[in-house]
Amino acid sequence: MPPNAKPAVVDHNRAPDGSAPQPSYEVVFGEYFPYSVHPPQLPASVRDGRDGRRATVAIVGGGPTGLTLALDLANHGIASVVIEADATVCSGSRAGAFTRRTLEIMDQLGVGEEIAASGLGWNRGWTYYRDALVAESLIPDRPDQRFPATLSQLQNLIEERLVARAAAFEELVDIRWHSKVVGFESGAGGARLRIEHPHGPYDMEADWVVACDGGRSMIRQSMGLTMEGQRHAGRYAIIDVRIDTSDFPVGRRWWFDPPSNPGGTLIMFKKPGGMLRFDYQLRDDEPTEEAMQPERVLAKVRAHLAMLGVDKPWQPVWLSLYRASAMTLPSYRHGRVLFAGDAAHLVPIFGVRGMNSAVEDAHNLAWKLAWHIRGLAADALLDSYSLERVAAARENLRYASKGAEFMSPPSAPHRLMRNAVLALSARHPALTSLMSPRQHSANDYAGSPLNQATADEAAFDAGPRPGMALPDGPLQRLVDGAPVDGDLTQLLGPCFDLFHFAADRGPSPALAASVASLGAVAPIRLHTLATSGTPATAGIDAIDPGGRLHGLYGAVAGACYLVRPDGHLLARWKTVPSETELHSALAHALGRPAAAA
Amino acid sequence: MNAQELDDVYTQLCHGLTAAGEAETPNVLARLVLLLLLQVPLAEAASKAVADALAGAGSAT
Repeated sequence: MPPNAKPAVVDHNRAPDGSAPQPSYEVVFGEYFPYSVHPPQLPASVRDGRDGRRATVAIVGGGPTGLTLALDLANHGIASVVIEADATVCSGSRAGAFTRRTLEIMDQLGVGEEIAASGLGWNRGWTYYRDALVAESLIPDRPDQRFPATLSQLQNLIEERLVARAAAFEELVDIRWHSKVVGFESGAGGARLRIEHPHGPYDMEADWVVACDGGRSMIRQSMGLTMEGQRHAGRYAIIDVRIDTSDFPVGRRWWFDPPSNPGGTLIMFKKPGGMLRFDYQLRDDEPTEEAMQPERVLAKVRAHLAMLGVDKPWQPVWLSLYRASAMTLPSYRHGRVLFAGDAAHLVPIFGVRGMNSAVEDAHNLAWKLAWHIRGLAADALLDSYSLERVAAARENLRYASKGAEFMSPPSAPHRLMRNAVLALSARHPALTSLMSPRQHSANDYAGSPLNQATADEAAFDAGPRPGMALPDGPLQRLVDGAPVDGDLTQLLGPCFDLFHFAADRGPSPALAASVASLGAVAPIRLHTLATSGTPATAGIDAIDPGGRLHGLYGAVAGACYLVRPDGHLLARWKTVPSETELHSALAHALGRPAAAA
Repeated sequence: MNAQELDDVYTQLCHGLTAAGEAETPNVLARLVLLLLLQVPLAEAASKAVADALAGAGSAT
């Protein structure tokens, strides 16, 4: 065993389905990441065992879900207290692949480009059966996209960037490290939390609580809530090693029944910073404690690298055990308590739907909670968070579970059919869709109660339907009076965004007047996109060179797309809508009577 | 295909499975199912065939 290896068996909280506690097998071999260690500071409002300042929103859990939510709320002017038990961001190897949608959301929080710049973009995958390549997959993509289809990056780095960004919102984001929630009670008016801290325990009250405290959520357990779903067959050892990766391809490689892991599977992908990650399936007949002994795991890595003919020095940095679960709470809202991320759902990692869906949870919730708190939206808008994200989770679980079953067939017939797919795929590419990890794309809120199908909806032959996330594309926009190349999603803000596709017809003063008037209902901005002229033309906000965006959105002159603050479409029109039509759409979404609005 | 053609293909299958051996037969049949599924133009027809086959599972008829 390497000299620094520290076998650690920790955490005996109940599993998400309420079953007996499961040990973890995390081993840290050396420094995985240059963590910033945060001191146990508390604000002056905490004294004599009590926080004298009532929080508007208490976010339990300072991982990626909680941090995304805190920054997103800050964008809407809402303060939050983030309660994090640890002194650092997440430790070790966690989520490693991030979708374009996640990067777009991170961009709206001010950290997208720096996260992308130090990561590795990829859209390819290779599947091997035994020792033969049987399929090469490509995530459908467009070359004009600002962010890659998928980015290999460290979750630790993303969290660090979010924490650093929070410093710019000192008045709105209060992150309390070393703070563990040990008691919780909630009611119609809010919640009280009992927090353990090195400076002494204290009680805190909050109007709203969002549980972002992970798979073993204390909040969920204290409320007696249990997730529904299943735990998939198959245990996986996760190992990160440091090695010269300069000649490794960027992308995901999957082996089924390779010589290095007979009868099992192995995934390998390149991470930034000269690391490789291996996820390999343990044998069914192998006790976990034996299989996870570091020397046994490292032997497996050695065997796989030898199989690939890789003869380079390498050092292990991280080892842990993973079991796939596909579970969700049936509702993410319980009065003043909301659930997001792993506290709400557990998704198998195959298919990249874990942290990515958690970020989408936070982005969906932030504007709704903020606008309700600000008095702009009725309470029912928060119910739509649960409706939309539970539906999204169920879709994610369906696809990710198919991936998990392909990786670890739960029965002999499953294995028979899976092996038949692998055996035939090289000669019959149509079968490769059955093995696809079903890479994550933005969820479609097709059944959302917020969606509005206008009378024009059926006339569109392209473009996102209500409920879908906006597809990105290049345009030229004005920045400080000068035209700059940019992208559509860069125009989105913490408000409704109305995109007017003006083609070559110029701006619409009537529409501009309508939007100005609707500012009394809700924050809303107008963006007029033209296909000719310059962004300096009065009333034109961006130029769509060659009309590519117009084509992508099925837009003729006058078409308008009304977009929610989370980047999903609310409604669209083929011609410039009237103020009444816009007013009605907003009022419906915000749960406010049109007349009063 | 007509009756004679069906009989010819059926016979080819039986002989082929015999040559493959009992242990390998399930693997061959699994591959055959997948290849035939690719030939069925409508998902409904494929799904019905799966349901019909499963209806016979566990019974002698």
